[in-house]
Amino acid sequence: MTIRRRILGAMTRRPALATASLLLPGGFWLAVFFVVPMLLMLGASVMQRGIYGGVEPGFTLEHYRRFLDPLYLQVLWRTIAWSALTTTVCLLLGFPVAWVIAASRRHRSLLLFLVVLPFWTSFLVRTFAMIFLLRDTGVINSVLMGMGVIEEPIALLYTPFAVLSGLVYGFLPFMVLPIYASLEKLDPALLEAAEVLGARPLARFVRVAVPLSLPGILAGMLLVFVPAMGSFLTSDLLGGAKQVMIGNLVQNQFTTARNWPFGAAASFAVMAVVLVAVMLSLRLRDRDPSIRWSR
Amino acid sequence: MPLAQFLRVSKSFGATRAVDAVSFDIARGEFFSLLGPSGCGKTTTLRLLAGFEQPDDDGGDIRIGGISTLSSRPYERNLGMVFQSYALFPHLTVARNVAFGLERRRVPGAEITRRVAEALDTVQLDSREFGGRRPAGLSGGQRQRVALARALVLEPEMLLLDEPLGAIDEKLRREMQLELRQLNRKLGITFVYVTHDQDEALTMSDRIAVMDRGRIAQVGSPAEIYEHPRTEFVATFIGESNLFEGEGGARIAIRPERTLLIAREEAPPAGYRLLPGTVEDVIYRGEMLRVLVRLEGNRRCTAALRNEGQLSRPLPWTPGTAVSVGWKPEDARVLADV
Repeated sequence: MTIRRRILGAMTRRPALATASLLLPGGFWLAVFFVVPMLLMLGASVMQRGIYGGVEPGFTLEHYRRFLDPLYLQVLWRTIAWSALTTTVCLLLGFPVAWVIAASRRHRSLLLFLVVLPFWTSFLVRTFAMIFLLRDTGVINSVLMGMGVIEEPIALLYTPFAVLSGLVYGFLPFMVLPIYASLEKLDPALLEAAEVLGARPLARFVRVAVPLSLPGILAGMLLVFVPAMGSFLTSDLLGGAKQVMIGNLVQNQFTTARNWPFGAAASFAVMAVVLVAVMLSLRLRDRDPSIRWSR
Repeated sequence: MPLAQFLRVSKSFGATRAVDAVSFDIARGEFFSLLGPSGCGKTTTLRLLAGFEQPDDDGGDIRIGGISTLSSRPYERNLGMVFQSYALFPHLTVARNVAFGLERRRVPGAEITRRVAEALDTVQLDSREFGGRRPAGLSGGQRQRVALARALVLEPEMLLLDEPLGAIDEKLRREMQLELRQLNRKLGITFVYVTHDQDEALTMSDRIAVMDRGRIAQVGSPAEIYEHPRTEFVATFIGESNLFEGEGGARIAIRPERTLLIAREEAPPAGYRLLPGTVEDVIYRGEMLRVLVRLEGNRRCTAALRNEGQLSRPLPWTPGTAVSVGWKPEDARVLADV
């Protein structure tokens, strides 16, 4: 009792102590399970490859040099393009959804519940389910053929379309939620004020709604783009061998190819791209003063 | 011809009738107030006029300049609006806020600059000092002025104001009341002003529409409404009234300042009707002394005595004194049963 009281007393007198004690457990966790493995990986990426996996001593930049091979750069480029496309499609699909949820009074909780409902099942199971939908004998082809719209099944599975569908489906909630959070704070009187001042619907959207929900839009774009860059499950299951993303390459190097240093180097290349994206979005939000005011 | 006309306009939200078959005219150039307690439908009435709400489809019509507005959007009505929350665009500077409407109308850049400066000048803000600031860096009163400038810069026929002084402190509020009234006179723009503050409505308006539960209780000049309230609601919402039973059981209202207060033993002046009572409380208000009197039948009334110097001495009334309250029959206002 007295010890407890003394600890609490010390914390009240020294707020820095209280802050530290709140940060410590989580900080410790991140240090042990994020920072240390990252440093190990960084080390691995500049060491010699072990014959049966793992690494051998000896410094080399060979793995980074190897990554510059057009074959791998093409995979990186494809990954960036798909992630950007996924982000764009998620934005186009997600913004209207977020708008409707923010505007609705009575059904808001239900709609938010529906947005997060997919998280109730594992991503793996949901991606497998998409195979049943997309394959030649799948639901889409069966229905279209049954209706007589097509004679032969359309190749849907193992195409870029399949991968993109899977990525968009998987990450859409990460776009909807932050944009909803921004729009929910938007005072409807601002849109009415714009309307009286002569702004047609498009102008109200471009001049008022978008700038004031920019923090949510940027957050949503990052939350989709970053994990899309690292995804491997979707391209593996829905894209097959032809639609390799950088995530598949990394996974492959650590497993079947047993080239840990190269896998580590490839994953740091991805991280460089992600870092650029994060910095771009930070620049954008610091440049736009609306973001400061809307908080 | 009146500038705006409401012809049996109703507005329902689900099962509730926020506005119930109201009819009134707004004359060109006047300062017109919609006054009533919260939930009386005054803001909905203003929003109907602005075009943010569509009236129920039951034959009612809102006309501006004699033309039905039923199919026109807010920006087609040639009106400006000042919102309760000001609704300034937080991401735009003061100058860009004021320029917003001009930009939407594709006014040339040089003219925008000139008119923005003029509009800010009209509301007594220096465009060089404030033009580059953002709304978050302004005081409540300054935001209010920017909102006014933003509406006035388009030179509307009508300016709608939805409780614009609600969030401003008392002293500044009184200044702004006079300033708004002067703007109305100077610019010749019709002001339609929504407020729940009867004092504010009396101070500023040429005419007031008193609203009660979705209906117009009375329309008239401040003097008409104060001197001749038609219903009990108007008599008690605008100023204060003592309610008595008059000749033949009719309900009558007497203003506290027209209520006679004399000691019980004192002889009443001729022609007064009298009721016996006991002083319950005496409230010193500076310019006034308010005496609460308990009457027979557990009813109360108030007499307000002007301070003409007699109150600087020990107060003439103390609780417990037996008194008579009275009124001249011509000061009694017979109230309609509503």
